[in-house]
Amino acid sequence: MLRSSSCSLAFALALLFVALSAAEAFAHCFVGPRFFPATLATDDPCVADEMSLPTVAWSKTGDVPAATEWDISVELSKRITEDFGITVGDIWSNIHQPGGFTKAGFGNLDTTLQYQLLKDGPHELALLLGLVVEWGGTGAVDSGLATLWSTLTPTFYFGKGFGDLPDSFGWLRAFAVTGQIGYQFPTRSFDVDTDSFIPQVLVYGASIQYSMPYLKSEIHDYQLPDFINHLFPIVEMQLSTPVANNFGNSPITTGTINPGVIWAGTYFQVGAEAVFPVNHASGTGVGFLGQLHLYLDDMFPTTIGRPLLGGSSAPPQQLKFFGETCENSSFRHCCLRRLAASPRMPTLCLIAPVLQWGVPWRARRARFR
Amino acid sequence: MASAPREVSLTFTQNLESAFSSVQVTGANGARVDQGKPQISGNTMRVSLKSLSPGAYRVRWQALSVDTHKTEGSFTFTVGGR
Repeated sequence: MLRSSSCSLAFALALLFVALSAAEAFAHCFVGPRFFPATLATDDPCVADEMSLPTVAWSKTGDVPAATEWDISVELSKRITEDFGITVGDIWSNIHQPGGFTKAGFGNLDTTLQYQLLKDGPHELALLLGLVVEWGGTGAVDSGLATLWSTLTPTFYFGKGFGDLPDSFGWLRAFAVTGQIGYQFPTRSFDVDTDSFIPQVLVYGASIQYSMPYLKSEIHDYQLPDFINHLFPIVEMQLSTPVANNFGNSPITTGTINPGVIWAGTYFQVGAEAVFPVNHASGTGVGFLGQLHLYLDDMFPTTIGRPLLGGSSAPPQQLKFFGETCENSSFRHCCLRRLAASPRMPTLCLIAPVLQWGVPWRARRARFR
Repeated sequence: MASAPREVSLTFTQNLESAFSSVQVTGANGARVDQGKPQISGNTMRVSLKSLSPGAYRVRWQALSVDTHKTEGSFTFTVGGR
């Protein structure tokens, strides 16, 4: 799994962030009218204040006989500035082979620094750079669940919504893709314990997702049940391929393809995916991946949901699921601004109210508030 | 010289469905001061007003476009004395 998470350190950092936070809030992965939910196996293309607590995975390994593996991970992401953030995570694993071994323990602690390169609202395009560091020797090395060496993985992330396609594409405009590609460098080239080379690995993944909230709010409201309007059907793929320093090891690509669905609310989301190994080396049978993900920026907009430094130039933005009523200021602000942001959205707006005193009408002794 | 408006006119970005669009004008005590059913033509909805005395009034509307989009909202205006 590309994403993993932390426990004790995460909570310690959370407390620190509560004490230090002093800027304004800006919500998670909105790019224009497009909302990218937090994906389960890969990463979304935005820095954000968010927490995955927990992510639970169950699978069977490719061993003979196959071992059963449970993974429980936690991940906390915090913005330092509006465009720069850090993620801390760790994972606890339990692997049991029938009639054989059982081992359990934490993996190495990992941290990710990320910088938001671009958020292009009209084109629903987000670009992100990151550096993932897995810190060697911080997990259960003796159990074989962690390594003594560290790895560094410069990673590029992207997200692209298709809302800028011509109107003739209709409901297809609610599709979006995200992806990431990274190159993993180990800090050692040879493992003396196993007498094998430690490869450099290309780590990559992608998702294709369909946004029911986008369909309702930006394309057409089919009057579907409320539950349906919160869903993001999704297929994720995560792969890794050894590309260098792999003498004597298998060169085979491993990974999984995960069809599933995410339900997104205003403050949290819940996701579930089936996990299909791409080959026998990646596992056997169909596994499961589930996640509860919290939008800290919307849950705590005045404390831990804000960047530590610099504040935000934009107000908090929450996912809207219902027709915005544009109460009070609709004709001049909410509705027309929304229409300007999405010119092709067939929004009904009040252009202007006029009080008439007869013919010709005169605006006299009356004022709007 | 008249100081109170005789009519409220609301113009929208799309044509309206007359059966499901409405506007109400109320005074500070909540009493309706409009003349009832609005006239709807194309993308404009009009409602005549009763004779208004000085005070604050609220216009509240609900509109449904012919392609089924909805909007609603309100604003206030004040009629002053001479």
